Amino acid sequence: MRGLGALAWRDLWRRPLRTLLTAAGIALGVAVLFAAIVSRASIDGAVDRSVRDLLGSADLRVQAFTERGLTDPTIATLASTPGVAVVAPELERQTYLQTRLDATGGGVAAPVTVLGLDPALDPRLHPLHLTEGTRLTAGLERSALVSETLAAAEHLALGDQVTLLGSAAAGPTAYRVVGLLAGNGPLPDARGRVVVLPLGAARTLFDVPGVSRVDLGLAPGADPAAVTAALASRLTREPYVLSTPQDVAAALAASTAGFEAGTALLAAVALFVGAFLVFNTLSMTVAERVREVGLLRAAGATRGQVHRLVLAEAATMGLLGSLLGLVAGLGLAVVLADAVPAFGGPVVDRLAIPADGAVLALALGLAVTLAAGLEPAWRAGRLSPVEALRPGALGIGPRAARLRWLVVVFVVLGAAGLLLWPSPPGVGRGALDQLRPFAVYGLLLLVAALSPFLVGPLGRLLGLPLARALRAESRLARSALARDRSRTALTVGALTVGLAMIVAMGTVAQDARRAAADWLTTVVPGDELLGSIRPLAPDEPGLAQLAAIPGVQRVSPLATFGVDFQGRRVDAAAVHGADLLADGRLTFVAGDRTTALTALDGGGATVLPASLADRLGAHVGDTLAFATGSAPTTLRVAGIVDRSLPGPTGEALLVGWGDATSAFGVTGARFLAVRYASGQEAVGRPRLDALARSLALEPDDLDALGGAVGDALGRVFGLFDLLAAVAVVIAGLGIVNTLTMSVDERVREIGMLRAAGMTRAQVWRMVVLEAGLLGAVGALLGCLGGLLVGAVILRLAAPDAAPTGLPWATAGLAFAFGLAVSLLAAAWPARLASRLSIVRAVAYE
Amino acid sequence: MTTQPFADPAAAPVADGTTARPFVDRRRPPILEARDLVKRYRLGRTEVEAVRGISLAVRRGEFLALMGPSGSGKSTLLHLLGGLDRPTSGEVVLDGDIVSRLSDTPATLLRRAKTGFVFQFFNLVPLLTVEENVGLPFTIAGHDPTSGEFRQRVREAIGQVDLDGRERNRPDQLSAGEQQRVALARALVTRPLVLLADEPTGNLDFTTGTEILDRLWRSCVEQGQTIVLVTHDSKAAAYADRVIFLRDGAAVDELELGRRPDHATGPLIARLAQLGL
Repeated sequence: MRGLGALAWRDLWRRPLRTLLTAAGIALGVAVLFAAIVSRASIDGAVDRSVRDLLGSADLRVQAFTERGLTDPTIATLASTPGVAVVAPELERQTYLQTRLDATGGGVAAPVTVLGLDPALDPRLHPLHLTEGTRLTAGLERSALVSETLAAAEHLALGDQVTLLGSAAAGPTAYRVVGLLAGNGPLPDARGRVVVLPLGAARTLFDVPGVSRVDLGLAPGADPAAVTAALASRLTREPYVLSTPQDVAAALAASTAGFEAGTALLAAVALFVGAFLVFNTLSMTVAERVREVGLLRAAGATRGQVHRLVLAEAATMGLLGSLLGLVAGLGLAVVLADAVPAFGGPVVDRLAIPADGAVLALALGLAVTLAAGLEPAWRAGRLSPVEALRPGALGIGPRAARLRWLVVVFVVLGAAGLLLWPSPPGVGRGALDQLRPFAVYGLLLLVAALSPFLVGPLGRLLGLPLARALRAESRLARSALARDRSRTALTVGALTVGLAMIVAMGTVAQDARRAAADWLTTVVPGDELLGSIRPLAPDEPGLAQLAAIPGVQRVSPLATFGVDFQGRRVDAAAVHGADLLADGRLTFVAGDRTTALTALDGGGATVLPASLADRLGAHVGDTLAFATGSAPTTLRVAGIVDRSLPGPTGEALLVGWGDATSAFGVTGARFLAVRYASGQEAVGRPRLDALARSLALEPDDLDALGGAVGDALGRVFGLFDLLAAVAVVIAGLGIVNTLTMSVDERVREIGMLRAAGMTRAQVWRMVVLEAGLLGAVGALLGCLGGLLVGAVILRLAAPDAAPTGLPWATAGLAFAFGLAVSLLAAAWPARLASRLSIVRAVAYE
Repeated sequence: MTTQPFADPAAAPVADGTTARPFVDRRRPPILEARDLVKRYRLGRTEVEAVRGISLAVRRGEFLALMGPSGSGKSTLLHLLGGLDRPTSGEVVLDGDIVSRLSDTPATLLRRAKTGFVFQFFNLVPLLTVEENVGLPFTIAGHDPTSGEFRQRVREAIGQVDLDGRERNRPDQLSAGEQQRVALARALVTRPLVLLADEPTGNLDFTTGTEILDRLWRSCVEQGQTIVLVTHDSKAAAYADRVIFLRDGAAVDELELGRRPDHATGPLIARLAQLGL
């Protein structure tokens, strides 16, 4: 076999360009796969670091549900629970630095996050890393620690005063900086702007009765499950959420599940397209060397030896491509890691390169290459020596065999995906969510499998406009495509799959952008939103001042918060029903609009978004009980709306301000929706914005908010588009291969055509047209398939959603891109064909 | 070895001592002429002289055979005559145009207008029908071979090679002889000034080879088609009016056979024996 192995090696080097193109195809597929693995491992690493930063060595975290927080009696209960050794209460709030306000002339800068902690107890669970100064000590209430990042931004040094804006009661309060915290400080979400105060000082500053959370350290040998059970029976005063470090990690990882599934799907698509390329290359090799194979067989080579010969070539290309792919994958992983925060994931500040991941990517790249080589190897082995040595033997397999191969490779890759990408543990993804990538994958298979049957008719149809102007070129190009229909179909299939992914994501992106733009305007009773980092009490004088500005019709306070329904957090929003009624917001799908919104202000009622009503199985008239302190609060479902205000995790149920403050502990509004009188916006807005800034409120235009969401989505989908474009480029390499082989097979024919008077330019145009037809058919099928896949994704995500318009722009661009890649791919083979020496061509065997 | 010019030969003696009368009028100007053609090319490190100073003239309606053993330069000479290749020195004049001085595109257009080729391998486009293959030169020239005069000429060419009724067949539905007849029809369809055939029977058995030669001869006799045939087969060469013998890239002899319906090979074989070919 050593001798035959050398033959495989020599054959690869006989056609270095083709070998390199094929290896590049595999390399790109492996690159996307490895980038997905590296980014996944990096996300895991970042999640672990975030959990460590958040929880330190705490075993359990008790998080307050309402703004009132967890009060001292609850903390005392926690401390006295058997098995609990350390209790570390923390208060976390956002505010502004007064110095900063002055410096910007009353403008609003980025807020700071204040963390209040117990100087004696907290270090036992959360070690703070100081680079300068001293730790906080009990009793020194006017001292503060600031993060290095904040110190650098605000030019703060040890001993400086830092003045924080507090509640109306406390006002601005100054603290002395006694220590600098390393880097961004202990809170990963605060973007480095952290001030740490003694807990008592923080509570005074914000005038709150409770704390945001209490971290618990268990006694040695204590069973967390027993402690959890004890807490469940003892903590009845205030609603809380109990989580373990694993829960926190799962919650952080959950936001990136879609990202990981998306990259995994695209990796599978890229690899699949790479497999097309390998299959075509090896088919070409077998077809070209059919006589050589015949000779080997006649000389006594066994079928097994011939199989191994072809597979050795596949393995060499697979190994070369996979190694190149690992290097390229690292580069791509950097791009992916940068995009993780846009998906709601943690900041990935360093790449984790798992050795087993590298081995896995290498092995999968090799396996896909070998799988792609099986059919050509089998075909080569089956050739009878007599048949192979006969002139004109082509060694081309039947279409059914190739389609069978297509399905096998597709299913193998899908199964590998299922095994390698199980959903993250502890994340409540529905079965439908898990199946979605596979549904998409299956649809792509369907589109690819249909291409052999559609290539002929579509090619004829698309070639029609050219038939008159370029009669010979167009007729011969179509004939060349029909010469080996299954090879053409596989080439088209690869292009189709890549483009379908681009168009499908375009469909989803368009829908998401439209939804983002529409959502806020249909639910917010105003033209503008003013955001506040602290709760604005209903009686704050600022509200009346804003409402009194000429041109302002209405100022409606809004607040989002969480409620505890059967032990699960549900987003809720406090609203004035009368404002929504007067403004005509919300689309009711059940219940009477006037009755429902009036009932909200009367108390004891709620309006549910349709998505939540479905999830809870609630109907109009039902009564829902929410855990609030010692006794539950019951609210009657007064109506169901199509879309509601957005909360942090989903759409919020709506309650009146009366219930929000009395039952759920909401202390004030976080947003003010401002509606201008008709035609008065230009008059009122400048004054309102100026006043808002002086009250530390951040004005946001609704269109701008929708646009910002759209931009963020654009970045997210742009990344996926990039990965899908990689698949299209691989398909482009496949077109180069197919056309080169097509030219190679037709050398004598091209010689004859040149002898019969075909000019070089005509030959060049013939090959370019062949690519153009391939590209046009692939692009058309890709666009149609993509629209179908996109529609299915949307239907799976929201079965009742109204259908959106088709993403014509994306489909048009994808079509143009596919066509351009194909035409570009024709450059080399067309040059090859047009420069053939006629004399050599007609004598070519 | 000296190179013998055959630009305007007198009637040459045949082997049996008789002198055949030239079939074409030697006083008429040639339509295809080679003047002191030389073709050298490199083969690895060595330079090969495939054609060494050959001159010849072909007159309208003449059937000329170029004969010689393998490697004698006959195919290279045919390629030079047909403008498929350019000589290292010397000239090829086709109907007054010096083909060997033309760049690729004008040479291609001249080929398209004035020559037809038949090769040993039929080189048909597999997915085109007989009709489409025969009409290919028109298609290449931008004409529609399915309408008007072009359609008529395609029909005539197909009739000329006795393939009526097979117009819609594809090459893989035809025998080897039929395929070569399609290739012949494709070469004849434009009514070229010169038809150049390179071993057209080399890939065929005796019977089908004879069919092709009969049709070539018929086109010459019935339509006055000028033909230059390259062959190493004395049976094929015996169809020609005149035979030029080549050896080692040079023309070593010429035999005027005249137009003979019996295509007897006797005189030819005798001359080959004299020449030791």
